[in-house]
Amino acid sequence: MKTALVGNQNSGKTTLFNLLTGSNQKIGNWPGVTIERKEGTIKGSKISIVDLPGIYSLSPYTSEEDVSRIYIMEEKPDLIINIIDSTSLERSLYLTTQLLELNVDVVIALNMSDILLQNGIEININKLSESLGCSIIPISAKKNTGVKELIDLIKSKNYIHNQRIKIYPPDVEETITKAEKHVPKENELHKRFIAVKMIENDPRYLVVLNEHTKNEIKQIEQKYDMDGEQLIASLRYDYIGMLKKDCLIVHPHKESITDRLDRVLLNKWAAIPIFIVIMGLIYLLSIGIVGGIFTPLLDMLFNADGDITLTISYIFGSSSFDLYFKGLGPLLGDWLSSIGGSPWLVSLVENGIVSGVSSVLGFIPQLFILFIFLSFLEASGYMSRIAFFLDRVFHKFGLSGKSLIPFVVGTGCSVPGIMSTRIVEDENEKKSTIALTPFIPCSAKLPVIALFAGFFFPSIGWLVSLSFYVFAIVLILFYGIIFKKLLFKGEHSSFLSELPAYQMPTFSHLMRDVWDRTWSFIKRAGTVVLLCSVIVWVLASYSWTFQYVASDISQSMLAGIGNAFAWFFYPMLGGHWSWAATASAIQGMIAREQVVSSMSVIASLSGGTSVFTSSAFSFFNGWSAYAYLTFIMFSIPCVATVSSMRKEYGSWKLTLFTVSFQLVNAWVLASLIGGIGWLISL
Amino acid sequence: MAIDKKKSLKVGEEGHLSDLHRGQKCIVLNFHNDNAALRRHLLDMGITKGVVIEIKKIAPLGDPVDIELRGYELCIRKVDMHTIDVRVIK
Repeated sequence: MKTALVGNQNSGKTTLFNLLTGSNQKIGNWPGVTIERKEGTIKGSKISIVDLPGIYSLSPYTSEEDVSRIYIMEEKPDLIINIIDSTSLERSLYLTTQLLELNVDVVIALNMSDILLQNGIEININKLSESLGCSIIPISAKKNTGVKELIDLIKSKNYIHNQRIKIYPPDVEETITKAEKHVPKENELHKRFIAVKMIENDPRYLVVLNEHTKNEIKQIEQKYDMDGEQLIASLRYDYIGMLKKDCLIVHPHKESITDRLDRVLLNKWAAIPIFIVIMGLIYLLSIGIVGGIFTPLLDMLFNADGDITLTISYIFGSSSFDLYFKGLGPLLGDWLSSIGGSPWLVSLVENGIVSGVSSVLGFIPQLFILFIFLSFLEASGYMSRIAFFLDRVFHKFGLSGKSLIPFVVGTGCSVPGIMSTRIVEDENEKKSTIALTPFIPCSAKLPVIALFAGFFFPSIGWLVSLSFYVFAIVLILFYGIIFKKLLFKGEHSSFLSELPAYQMPTFSHLMRDVWDRTWSFIKRAGTVVLLCSVIVWVLASYSWTFQYVASDISQSMLAGIGNAFAWFFYPMLGGHWSWAATASAIQGMIAREQVVSSMSVIASLSGGTSVFTSSAFSFFNGWSAYAYLTFIMFSIPCVATVSSMRKEYGSWKLTLFTVSFQLVNAWVLASLIGGIGWLISL
Repeated sequence: MAIDKKKSLKVGEEGHLSDLHRGQKCIVLNFHNDNAALRRHLLDMGITKGVVIEIKKIAPLGDPVDIELRGYELCIRKVDMHTIDVRVIK
């Protein structure tokens, strides 16, 4: 048996999907989280279920609605589970009236039934079920109530079969019956649905009508003084209005918590300062405090080799401790030497693997805290408010308020960020958003910033991190307007969205989301970064003739590769020829955190106790550090991001253009900054 | 599209949805809008002739606007509100 889960955006669809299947898909308290259809199996059965994107209608205009319509008509599910947000019943039932015109059974899952009374709403479920001619199960996806009953009903197949109730006035119903006769044989199954589409002037089905029926539709349009599309929409809502009168009691209730919170959080004067303070605090706490304390500690646990100075920084200062400690890498190295391991093996483990992987793992504590905050903002509904009030600004710059969502998701990783650009309705705003999302410092870029900031700007490291977000936003707005003027020229765009009610995210949801993000970071450290670290170690330890050249890294293959491209980085490094910085930056195209990992491997091979005291990187100063960071932040994104860009654009040409634009932009900016430092030092 | 600034509408007067202030209520009379996709989307969201709309929240920078209709709330840009003709009822 095949079932499909259909519902409005932000109706709790993905939450229900997870409950039904026991899987773990991403949920957010903003509309449009489900961007691709997902499949699963209902727990304890062989019934397959497809989670379709959130839609309001089955109109032919948006790709999500088209995906859903095509799925239902061509894959022919046996049952549609229509999830409804019972706190916006009228709008939700609008979609239901369309589903009921199809020749598929429908079961309604009436979600958020637990907060109905709180909102002063009472629904007579029996009466509603009788009127619509389909089964209704009240559930709360958030509290996991009613879901078992829903599963049992689906399994037993004891639900009411679709009766295709007549909801329009008799004259319109008559025209529908006539139009049904023109429905082509292959669509016979859904003839009522298609007949209604014909009256709506749906371009897809108009062709098959004969003159007589066309005239009849015209007469109806004249009688009601509306075109077919308006007419059907109005009549649907009229019918729902009638249902509402019969089945719904609305008690007057006092101002909701959401409205009261919005009075402050969306206040004309307070909203933007509050937003800035919240974001500032988040980065201060996660990168400033947690990062400053735990990253050096973890580095010590992995890499300390005997006498070391441990420097812990906290926002307005730092403390250093001299102590003796041997970390995992040196301990493993000692052990390998003691059992007779050759020097190259010791070096591979100590300088290649442990040093490379741990340089990335060290950032987990601060990312973990950052993810908790971001996940909370997302799930609580505040992020939708930010999109709401930034729309005015973004719109001016050729973007949508909804572009904020890819940007925020992009702070974790650009790949899902770019995928979520699908929620931006306007095609031009969407393309701009795709091109600009990679500017946002993703979690893999943070280690790079932290590495440089921790050494060159120790007391204001968090401010340097924050500065790259500001830098990114400035670039996004600047190029947004340029793209709007030159590239993605378009007249109209719309922003239609909802402000979801504020809610306290459940602890388990929050932890699951944070764990997902953290785990994917760890996985990359264990796969891509591990593999690259080994490759870098090999390239850095052997010459072109495959001689082990550990004593002189400048003879290595890596140095050769770096030297071939070092001219490109010469200006931004303030007039320094560095194969090491060059080779590390190139690896950033595989994965950004690999820059850190590569620098650690090269540094430990060239015999430094820390990255910037090693001979390979000791030339860096504040200017060249910031310039190099600028390049790493804004140049060609990693391979995974480029491929998802290509997927969302649907065009190699546009992808190549974007990538070259990013490279040129990053090079110019970085060379400017590095150049200033160079001039000063002359 | 030019949007008239600070036009105050009293009860019974007609104008565009974008002219209304926070807390005002109106009834939809008609649309003038040549973007088929947007028009359909507005219809799907329940903005049909005769529906009552209340201005609930306005974004801190003045745009977009959160409106209430049919028992739920919707955010919409002023340019789009400009395409909806209304009569003020409160």
